[in-house]
Amino acid sequence: MISVKNIYKNFGDISVLKGVSCDIKKGENVVVIGPSGSGKSTFLRCMNLLETPDAGEIWLEGKLLTKPDPALHPEFSAGPKSAVKAALREYQDKHYIKTELARQKMGMVFQHFNLFNNLTVMQNLTLAPTQLKLKTPQEAEAKAVELLNRIGLYDKRDEYPSRLSGGQKQRIAIIRSLCMEPDVMLFDEPTSALDPEMVGEVLFLMKELAREGMTMVVVTHEMGFAREVGSRIVFMDDGRITEEGKPEEFFGNPQNPRLRDFLSKVL
Amino acid sequence: MTKFFDNIIEIFTNTKYLFEMLNGLKMTFIISVGAAVLGLLLGTLVAIITLSRSENKLMMIPRAICKVYVTIIRGTPMALQLFIMAFVVFAIRGFPQIVTAIIAFGINSGAYVAENIRAGILSVDIGQTEAGLSLGLSRGTTMMKIVIPQAIKNVIPAIGNELIALIKETSIVSMIGMKDLNMAAQVIGGGNNLATYFAPMLVAALFYLAIVYTLTFAIKRIEKRLRASDKR
Repeated sequence: MISVKNIYKNFGDISVLKGVSCDIKKGENVVVIGPSGSGKSTFLRCMNLLETPDAGEIWLEGKLLTKPDPALHPEFSAGPKSAVKAALREYQDKHYIKTELARQKMGMVFQHFNLFNNLTVMQNLTLAPTQLKLKTPQEAEAKAVELLNRIGLYDKRDEYPSRLSGGQKQRIAIIRSLCMEPDVMLFDEPTSALDPEMVGEVLFLMKELAREGMTMVVVTHEMGFAREVGSRIVFMDDGRITEEGKPEEFFGNPQNPRLRDFLSKVL
Repeated sequence: MTKFFDNIIEIFTNTKYLFEMLNGLKMTFIISVGAAVLGLLLGTLVAIITLSRSENKLMMIPRAICKVYVTIIRGTPMALQLFIMAFVVFAIRGFPQIVTAIIAFGINSGAYVAENIRAGILSVDIGQTEAGLSLGLSRGTTMMKIVIPQAIKNVIPAIGNELIALIKETSIVSMIGMKDLNMAAQVIGGGNNLATYFAPMLVAALFYLAIVYTLTFAIKRIEKRLRASDKR
């Protein structure tokens, strides 16, 4: 579904991603863990181009989100410069998908919720589907009501975000993405800004989504969640993926010393 | 002291003086409203151009122009800008002075408004923009539907300040011989009229105060309405 090919990202002099590749298949729940500063969030944000990778390619359902990376296409490197350029351009035109269209298929949940503060809960949920003319206002509202009922917050539909608790905000943020009926959901430390007692309700909703077969990529520090829901765990360290595997072998028998060290601190 | 009160009564009862005052008030009002509208439009436009993404090559020249504009206008005295407009740019025989004044004050106000709005837009958390973009909304829609409505709420007090300053500053049009409220007071106080400045200037001051107070009140009301989404 998503294919990340050898991406690099620098912020000024600091290189945050140093060649990260990862394939995410339909229905998979990939949990990304690692020490802070290891590039997990940047990796996730590159997937929907909130950060533009400096090199490498991102693919979504067979469509190219980034510019083609010449380094990944040795077949085009022969011949004069202009020919290479033309070949790459042609390749891009053939496979390219507009960023806005790609983002419509990828829901994103942020650490700090980012509900639209100037809109009510209902308006938050219906804004994107109606603005993008994917749904009529009636359809969008019906979908929003269905999802609000599901998380038990229907009575908050006319409240502004400032009147909700953190857990409520995050669950609304999740269903705001679901209103777009995405193919994949990206979670950027969704429980890190929550009071401990509210973490459970958000994780519960995420587990339900996973059970229903939603494809998910989750950056988190919740090892319990990773173990229970993750179909694959990815460990990032210093801008690279240094280990990945199924939860049992990953937690049961870690090979990499950095990973063993990390797990001993967080478990 | 009784002379002073007599003079006040004289200003309000003698139709010659009253007309002078009311015409002055009208002039001040027209220049202020015209300049405020021009300034708000210009300021918003300049703020949006200034904040366009640095990767956007197309906007490079407009962005440079806007920076120069804000720097020059904020760095030179208003009176000088008015003189340049009146005696250089629009030194055309028969060109209506009132238009000159509106343009001069509008351009001046625009630079300050631009800075206020720019600060207001920057004060909206970047996460709001990211959330909009992540849902697949365009940059323009995200700006119009999410960022600007929140920015406006943040800039209303600063814009109110700017409008108040603008209204009072229009009094310098008397320097190019225009008959605004300030000039009217001078005329009434002149030797061939009341021959004393105290009463007419006090009346003019009260008129300015009344306008500014009304404006302050209106802004407070607007602020309160916009704060609806902030109730906790």
